[in-house]
Amino acid sequence: MKAPTPTAAVDAHWTFDDVFDRPASIRSMAILRIALGPAVLAHLAPFLVDTARGITYDEHFSMPWWGFLPEVPGWVQVVLVWGAAVSAVAMSLGWRTRVTSALTFVGIAGNLFLSQTHFRHNRAFLLFLVGGVVLSNAGRVLSLDALRRRRAGLDATDDQATVWPMWTLRALVSSVYLASGFSKLIDPDWASGLVLWDRAVRFQDLVRDRLPSFLAEPVIDVVTTRWVHAVSSPVAVAMELFIGVGLWFGRTRLTAVWVAILFHLSIELSASVEVFSFAAIVALVIWATPSTRDRIVTVDDPRWIRRLDWLARFDVRVAPGADLAVVDRDGSVHTGRSARWLVASRLPLTFFFVAPLRRWWR
Amino acid sequence: MAHRRLSSYGTLGAVTRPATPGSSGLPAPSGRIQRPAWRARAVRALAVGILVGQAALLIRGYWDPHAHFGFQPFPESSTWRADIVRVTADGRRISIDEPWPGGYDWDRLVRWRVLQHPERRKHAYSSLDATVDFLDEALDWVAEHTPADTETVRLEARVEGRRNTRGPVLIVLRSDDRDEAR
Repeated sequence: MKAPTPTAAVDAHWTFDDVFDRPASIRSMAILRIALGPAVLAHLAPFLVDTARGITYDEHFSMPWWGFLPEVPGWVQVVLVWGAAVSAVAMSLGWRTRVTSALTFVGIAGNLFLSQTHFRHNRAFLLFLVGGVVLSNAGRVLSLDALRRRRAGLDATDDQATVWPMWTLRALVSSVYLASGFSKLIDPDWASGLVLWDRAVRFQDLVRDRLPSFLAEPVIDVVTTRWVHAVSSPVAVAMELFIGVGLWFGRTRLTAVWVAILFHLSIELSASVEVFSFAAIVALVIWATPSTRDRIVTVDDPRWIRRLDWLARFDVRVAPGADLAVVDRDGSVHTGRSARWLVASRLPLTFFFVAPLRRWWR
Repeated sequence: MAHRRLSSYGTLGAVTRPATPGSSGLPAPSGRIQRPAWRARAVRALAVGILVGQAALLIRGYWDPHAHFGFQPFPESSTWRADIVRVTADGRRISIDEPWPGGYDWDRLVRWRVLQHPERRKHAYSSLDATVDFLDEALDWVAEHTPADTETVRLEARVEGRRNTRGPVLIVLRSDDRDEAR
């Protein structure tokens, strides 16, 4: 069944110049901005604890990145990490977003570059994400800045802005998956499962710590079996490569996002990666099509959709007594179960559970 | 005023709107972001520069033991342990577990779990090469930051590593010689 396209058709084709000159919805970057505040605080927590105790990086072993530079005094680290913590809260709230996101970036980057011992891949990834927020106009919506504009009588609903930072961030995020997958693919020890198996044997206590005992022992039996990793390692490599490539194409994007969530949840269960799992799952919002309210949903009670539709996928219209109906981007009309599946598969909180079921039942 | 409103549409850019009398001030769907030519070039150069820089770091990761920004997580399952001694001016080799002039303690000096308790076999952080590099640097740092120790000429570590269950690989590391013991 077809109906007129609900809003301006979403043009999936972007040229190089479009990336820089075509305005699009900045909402996904705003969602990322909000989520990064807690992630930055969690990342900084051990540094905040240390500096609160008066312990700075220069009072124990540290390894400068560039030997020709003079050593930075310890108080600089105090300023960096506490400044970043305060500004991260402000960034998350969207208060003076341009300044506070930049201060957050400077704080965590500065702390990272005080010593090579501060480097972790997950911290570099977090730095990329915050950098993307700094470059974008992520305070334009869902922010105290937007609230202030509204109170000043200025337009605060328009979420259109330049999105080249989002595209750049997409390329960086994709490169992380591809680099990780490729490095493992060409390593015979990794591809054969030796590395994962040996790590699983050594770190099996992590599983015991994180799962209830009735579940932990069977899981440990499985993850410490050698042949399991001969299978799971190539699968893990394939997942990373698929995510890195699949995110770029409309036909595979939703599958890639779903696989990425599964991938990160499994990593969180089996390894200590600090804020990586959270940051990487949250960062998946940047792959949402940068347009909003381009599907029309007609509903009797709009509250639950409006509360859960963080990415503003739907133009919600209220019709008392009406059954749920959705007009999709291509003009197709969904009603009944099909409409429920479609709505639930496009809401961030329910996507992971509903998307595969929708594909299965369709 | 018009300039302020336009420039608010994005970082290093603004949205042009067709003149539509009575419009709400929202950009037209077909609006393009217009910048002075130099800013348009600067924005493109910045984006391309970020990506080229990242590509360079990804490639560099194959030669850098730490693979900084190379995104090669969990590269190995290697392990290591080390016997670290203080070599004194009179030639004695004293384990760092023994009392240290000045009351120093290895674990408190390095204060990083990656290098603490080197006498125990443990997982090599990042990779065996990265851990050995960190340990090498730590020997120098400790040698430089123990001024009350006037008897130690240098620190020496005998590292036994196993790379992905294979080995052992034996490596000897020495700190720079210390002036305090001369």
